[in-house]
Formats: sequence, C-alpha cells, structure tokens
Amino acid sequence: MSLLELKGVTKRFGGLVAVDHVDLVINEGERLGIVGTNGSGKTTLYNLISGVYTCDEGSILLEGLDITNMPAYKRAHLGLARSFQIPRPFGQITVRENVAIGALFGTLIGEIGEDEALEIGEYYLEKVGLYPKRNEIANALTPIEKKLMEVARALSMKPRLVLLDEAMAGMNPKDIDRIVEIINKIHEEEKISIVSMVEHIMRAVVNFAERVVVMNQGKKIADAPTQEALNDQKVIDVYLGRFALEEQNA
Amino acid sequence: MEFLRMFSGDLINGIILGAVYGLMTMGLSLIFGVLKVVNVGHGAFIMVGAFIAYWMFTLFGLPPLLSAILALIVGIALGFFFYYVVMKWLLEAPELSTLLATFAIGIFLAEVAKAVWGPDYRGYSWNVGSLNLGVTTIPMAKVYALLSSIVIAVALYLWFKKTRAGNALRGVVEDKEGARVCGINVEGYYALSFAIGIGLTVMSGVFITLFVPVGINPYMGEVYTIKAFVIAVLGGLASPWGAFFGGFIFGLVENGSYAILGLIPGVEPFSLTQCLAFAILLVLLLLKPEGLLGKK
Amino acid sequence: MNKGKYYPLFVAIGIFLVLFIFGKFAQGMWEPVALIMFYVAVGEAFNVFLGFTGYVNFGYVVFMGLGSYGMALVVSSSSMAGLGPWILIPGFLFAAIMAGILAAGVGAIALRLRGAYFAIATIGVNQGVKFFIEGAKIWGGSEGIIISKPLKVALGPHLANAVTTFWADFLVFMIAILAAVITIVFLHTRLGYGLIALREDEDAARVMGVNTTKYKNIAFLVSSILAALVGATAWCLKTTYVFPDDVFALSYTVDAIVIVMMGGTGTLLGPVVGGLIYGILKYWLGILLPGFQLLILAPFIIIIIILFPEGIVGVLKKRVRGKKLEKFIA
Ligand SMILES: Nc1ncnc2c1ncn2[C@@H]1O[C@H](COP(=O)(O)OP(=O)(O)OP(=O)(O)O)[C@@H](O)[C@H]1O
Ligand SMILES: [Mg+2]
Repeated sequence: MSLLELKGVTKRFGGLVAVDHVDLVINEGERLGIVGTNGSGKTTLYNLISGVYTCDEGSILLEGLDITNMPAYKRAHLGLARSFQIPRPFGQITVRENVAIGALFGTLIGEIGEDEALEIGEYYLEKVGLYPKRNEIANALTPIEKKLMEVARALSMKPRLVLLDEAMAGMNPKDIDRIVEIINKIHEEEKISIVSMVEHIMRAVVNFAERVVVMNQGKKIADAPTQEALNDQKVIDVYLGRFALEEQNA
Repeated sequence: MEFLRMFSGDLINGIILGAVYGLMTMGLSLIFGVLKVVNVGHGAFIMVGAFIAYWMFTLFGLPPLLSAILALIVGIALGFFFYYVVMKWLLEAPELSTLLATFAIGIFLAEVAKAVWGPDYRGYSWNVGSLNLGVTTIPMAKVYALLSSIVIAVALYLWFKKTRAGNALRGVVEDKEGARVCGINVEGYYALSFAIGIGLTVMSGVFITLFVPVGINPYMGEVYTIKAFVIAVLGGLASPWGAFFGGFIFGLVENGSYAILGLIPGVEPFSLTQCLAFAILLVLLLLKPEGLLGKK
Repeated sequence: MNKGKYYPLFVAIGIFLVLFIFGKFAQGMWEPVALIMFYVAVGEAFNVFLGFTGYVNFGYVVFMGLGSYGMALVVSSSSMAGLGPWILIPGFLFAAIMAGILAAGVGAIALRLRGAYFAIATIGVNQGVKFFIEGAKIWGGSEGIIISKPLKVALGPHLANAVTTFWADFLVFMIAILAAVITIVFLHTRLGYGLIALREDEDAARVMGVNTTKYKNIAFLVSSILAALVGATAWCLKTTYVFPDDVFALSYTVDAIVIVMMGGTGTLLGPVVGGLIYGILKYWLGILLPGFQLLILAPFIIIIIILFPEGIVGVLKKRVRGKKLEKFIA
C-alpha cells in the first residue's frame, strides 16, 4: 500500500530546477534508498516532503490526503519525521530534552506529559546507543552523535515515515555497518517506512535498501529494486563510476 | 496655486535632502551587507561628523566641503578602532549582542561628546549665496551638499565595481567561505568595510549640518539612526546603492507629505510625516523585505 | 523532578522579600529598592519573549508606554471618578488590553520577519506609535497626560499620596512575582519546550511538529502585557504624568536587554540578578559621578557582551550542573 505519493513535484531556485517533475511512491513499511551525485536535488526533495519548502508545481499525498500546502508542523503530526544532512540540534538543551521535544510535539495521539516525554526520550536514546550521553548539552556531541540524536529525535515522534538525510556521511565502514544495523533493527521493531539517502556509500545502500531511486540533476532517472537499479546502464553512466572507486578505497 | 508652489518647493528640497539622507545611509547598508550587523549606534557617528564641521568652521573658518575630508579620515580611524576593539569579537555572536554593542558604542560617543562639549544646541551658517528656482530659493550650501553626495556615491560605486579591493569585497558579501577559499583575507575586508562604512557616516554628518541650523548636540543622532533604518530598508538593507536611492524616496516622502498633511486641520504635520515614514517601513518589510529595487 | 522544579521560584521570591524588607525599614532606601525592582520587572517581562524565542523586540518600550497611557486614560476619564480606589482595576485592565491589541497586531505581522528585520520593524512600531500620538494630537499629543489632579479626586489626597510613594512600587513587586511565576511555568511545560525549540532552531522545531507561529505569538503577547502593567504602575501611577518623549524612549528597551543579558537569557533568575546589579550600579554611579553614569555604563556593557555573553546565571547554571545546588538555579 502506498504511504506517500509525489506527483510531478518541482522546485526552482531562480533559474535552477533543483527538483524536476519527480513522481515517486513510498510504500508502507518500506526501506527505500535515494542516491544521486552532489546537488542532484535529494535534500531539496526532503525539504519539499517535510514542508520546509513548498512545491512550485506538483502535489504530495499522504495516504491519499493532499498535503502539498500543509504547514510543516501539521505534516509532522500526520507522521512525517526527518533528520538533517547538517545536524540541527537544539544546541543549548540536553540530549534527552532534544528527544523529548519530538515526543511532546511529534504526535497528536493523546497529550503526553513532560515527564513522560523525557522517559520516551531516554527509551529512544537507548536504541541509538546514546543513553550514556543523555544529560549532555546537545552542542557538546560529536558530529556522528548529533546525527544519531537526530535519528532518536525523529523516532520519538512516532512517525509513519522517517526521512534520513545522509545519516552516515563521513563515517568509517565500521560505524556505517553499526548504524545500518541500528536502523534496520528499528525498522523491524517500529514497523515504519524509512527513506534514507546514502549518497555514494555503496555498502550502506546494499545492506539497507530494498529499493533504490536514483536522482540526477533534479530528475529521477531510475527507480527499481536495489540490485536492478545499480545495474542499470544509465545509472552506471552518471553515477556508479564513483561507487566503484569508493569501494576500492573502503 | 500657492499650495502647488509650496508643494513643488518641498519636493525640490526633498530631493536635495534625500541625497544627503542617501549618503547618510550607505555606510549602514555597507556594514549590514558585509558583517550582517545592524549598527544601532549609527546616528552617533553622524553627530561626530556634525561636531567636526561645527568646530572646523567656527575655530578655523574651514568650509564644510573641506571638513568633510577630515571627517572621512576621522571616521575611518574610528571605524577601525571600534572594529578591532568591539565588533571583531562579536562576529559569531547572536543578533542581540551586536545590537546591544553598537547601541552602547553610540551611547559612549554621545556621552563623550557631552562631557567634552556640553549638552547645548549649536549651529553655524555657511553663507555662499543662493540659487533662485522660481518656486523656491535654495541656499548654495545645500546645492553643494547635493553635488558632493552624488560625487561620493559615484566614487564609492566605481571603487566597488572597478578596483580589485572592491571586487574582493563583493566576493566576501556573496560567499564568505568561497572568498576565503580563494585566498581573500575575509577578516581584513570586514575591518575595511566597517571602517569605510563609519567613514561615510561621519562624513555625511558634515553635510547634515547644512540642513539643521541649530541642531548640533550630542544626542542629535537618534533621529538619524531611525531614519537611516527606514531608508536602508527601502533600499534593501544590504545594498549601499539601494540605500542611496532610498534616500531620495525618503526625502521626497518626508518633505512632500509635509505640505499635504498640513492640510488636515488640528494636527501636527511634522510628526505625522515621521509616522508615515514608519508606516511605510512596516508595509515594506512585510511586502518587499528585499527593498524597492531588489529582486526576489 | 516535580516539586523541585519550582525551587528557583522560591529563590526569586526570597530575594524580593529581602529587598522589600530592606527598603521598608532601612532609612531612605525605599526609592533605590523601587528602582531596582523596576529594572527586575522590566527585565523579567522582556525575558519572557527574548529569552524563550531569541527574537529581539527592540520596540519593547512601546508596550510599557501604551500601558502607562492606558492607566492615565482611565484615571483621567471623569466617568470613572466615582470608583474611588477601585479605579486602578479598570486602569490595569485597559493598560493590558491596549498593549494586548497592539501586540496581537504586531505579532501577526512582524513575527513573520526574522533577525535584524524583526528588530528594525519593532523600532518602527515604537516610533510610529509615538509620532502618531504627537502628530494626530490624540491623548494630549506631545503635551502628554497629567493625572495628579484626577488621581487626587478619585482617591482622596491622602491615598493618592500613598499610591505615588508606596503602592505604585509595591505593585511592581507583585508584577515581578507574576512574571517569575509565568517564567517558571514556561520553563517546565509543553509551551516552554516548544518555545525553546524554536529559539534554538526554528525550522527544525517546525518539522518536529511545533506550531512556531502560535508559540511565538503567545510569548510576545504575554511579554507585552507584562510590560504594559509595569508601565501603568511604575510610570503612570508613580510619576502621575505620561509624556510621549519619556514613555517611548528606546533607551528603556536597551536597559531591558542589558539586564537580561547580564543575568542570563532564558533563565528565571537571570533578570532578577541582572536587574539587581544594573539598578545598584545606576544608583551608585548616579551618586558618585552624577551625569557620567552612561559614559561608564556603555563600555561596561560592551565588556559584558564580549566576555560573559551567557550572563551570570547562565554561567552559574553550568557550574552547578549535577550538584546539589542545581535545582535552585534556573
Ligand atoms: N535554498 C536554496 N537556494 C538556492 N539554491 C539551492 C537551495 N537549496 C538547494 N539549492 C540548489 O539546488 C540544487 C540541489 O541541491 P540539494 O541540496 O537538494 O542536493 P543534494 O542532492 O542534497 O546534494 P548533496 O549531495 O550535496 O547533499 C543544488 O544545485 C543547490 O545548490
Ligand atoms: Mg543533500
């Protein structure tokens, strides 16, 4: 069953078409990977889905409900959650409070008290392995920890769909394996859809995604089960040359 | 008929004062464009320029056109001083810090001026004939102020567009990190723009004195700070050329509306012109925060 | 957890109590204490918005000004003279309503702007209101309103005198307590978490489900109404006149910023400590070096901004993290 549907979604910045008539379906409970070279429009696509930007053209449906012009906070209430490519923690408050804010505001199902929210925060910090850091000020975390905290923050919102923006960029293979494992485990336990952008980290793509969408210059150029997409000649031409290189280096 | 005569006289005066207003605001916009700092102490630097003009004239008989050069030099020196002593440490700080710091600089200058020269209102008159335009007569002093303002604006424009330093500065405004990668000394250009911005502002204070016969005093700056804000927003806040253009608009609105608002019985038209200016500011900030000339 | 959350409030109220007793019983100390409490209240009211949203309302003083006009208009309206001392209640109500209406309007419009643009817009609102009053010659125009006579008529000469010398200041204490209570509630409720999230990163807060527009407006409204109450009592009732040049002077906004910053933005005790220090400093400098207070304060302010941007309570909070004292500092 389709959870989220994009129809002809387009976003322009001046003359540049950052996202160009993209059609995309994300299914319930799916693990989707989106790959594409730098500047191909992946982050912009996330910004459109989560409501940071509004579409210039096209429409976005969540379970058939048109959310194209809905404010970001309402989309969050309907079950959309995301992390940011460059982490955006609430820097001056504790890690636990950061995650608690997700629990407090991310859902409309029943009002959650502040203390309960803090407990939920701890629960998800445990899941991503940040429990020992729960009382630190968020700004004091390392970049990798910040990314993990954003994952916990997204999960605490009880989402239907989590959008992860390069949660693994800049990590070494061991960390990548660990995080893919964490994410896969969460996927199993929470029964949610996860879309992750994995840029050019082949290792993560193969281990995480069931299906891969390939972006190039704002357009979707491939959309198929993982192995099939990675063998597509068009994709290889624009993209996989770099994958091979990465693999050798890794 | 009489009203039309007065009205067109007001408009002409508006254009002339507008040029000086434009010059007065260019420094504010330059500093905001480069450092992203709103100089809330702006008017105090205008006050410094006004006192320079006053003392040079009364003590040595130096005409304002010459003291303008001195004011520019003093202003640049003050700019470098306050940049290295204060602003440099606040580049990464939140808005709050820079707003407060520049306000404190303004207070400091005003208080020093008061301690040194006292709180009295002063003025001087530079009499160099006048120009008869039929609908109104304009003192030549104001005509010189108009011409000087235009010359200075053009000179700044040429410096910005034609010299290497100007190009580098444009690079810094557009993309700080990019400029740094290209080997441009970004911090140096911050200091330079702050200094030039303050220099222009102090210099504009000299020309302002030609419009306020007895208005020179330590606290004269505040009204100009606030007028400069309106003008800067008219021009897009970050663009010195926009600011120069905004100065003309503001001068025209301020002077033009005076005659019209004066037709309403039982009001104080001068205050209403100011009120109108702020109404325009608010509307503009909402509808077109990028300024009248700016593009989305 | 739970009850411990409110300990800092007791610390604040304790400080007020000490000040009150000191002012009441030490010879000639009531006026300086009243001045200090004025700064504390101004800082607290300002902090409710700045501290929780990070937005700099540079035109904050307009709400204090409107508040004092609200009180003045009620006291000087002949139709209410029969109310006696009760006249102060509609006075405060009207002050709050006037500020509330302006805040709702300004909030709906200007809060869409960010950073420097918001600060400039609020300066514009302050100047616009002031020049409108002077230009359209409403409410006495630039002459202002003098309420010493109507206040005597309404309250009788004896009580009127007591109001200006004692009760007006006493009410400032009450407003300071009210503001402190509001702050602590903000700090520990959903509303406060939403505000802090938006202060730290507005876009991130929004995608996490925080209705930032609503929360910003609530904080703005509450802060503005508190400011109006301070203006109504500390200016209008205490001095018995309202002059536009005085009640719209931007320097009061700056006082508020300095107090909040010196004490620590977004903390409960910050404005209390900040107001205390700032008030004492101004008072002492006024005695020691009359006429030179500002000359000394200005560089002092700059030094604070550069060296201690987190403020005293901000630094203290970090120091006591994980220690017993922690629950008393917020
Ligand atoms: N706010 C913006 N204003 C102007 N241009 C933008 C903006 N955001 C993105 N762009 C441009 O849109 C294009 C797509 O950017 P986007 O960030 O979506 O790419 P990406 O696929 O996420 O790249 P990366 O791998 O570098 O994260 C780029 O050319 C970028 O410069
Ligand atoms: Mg990206």
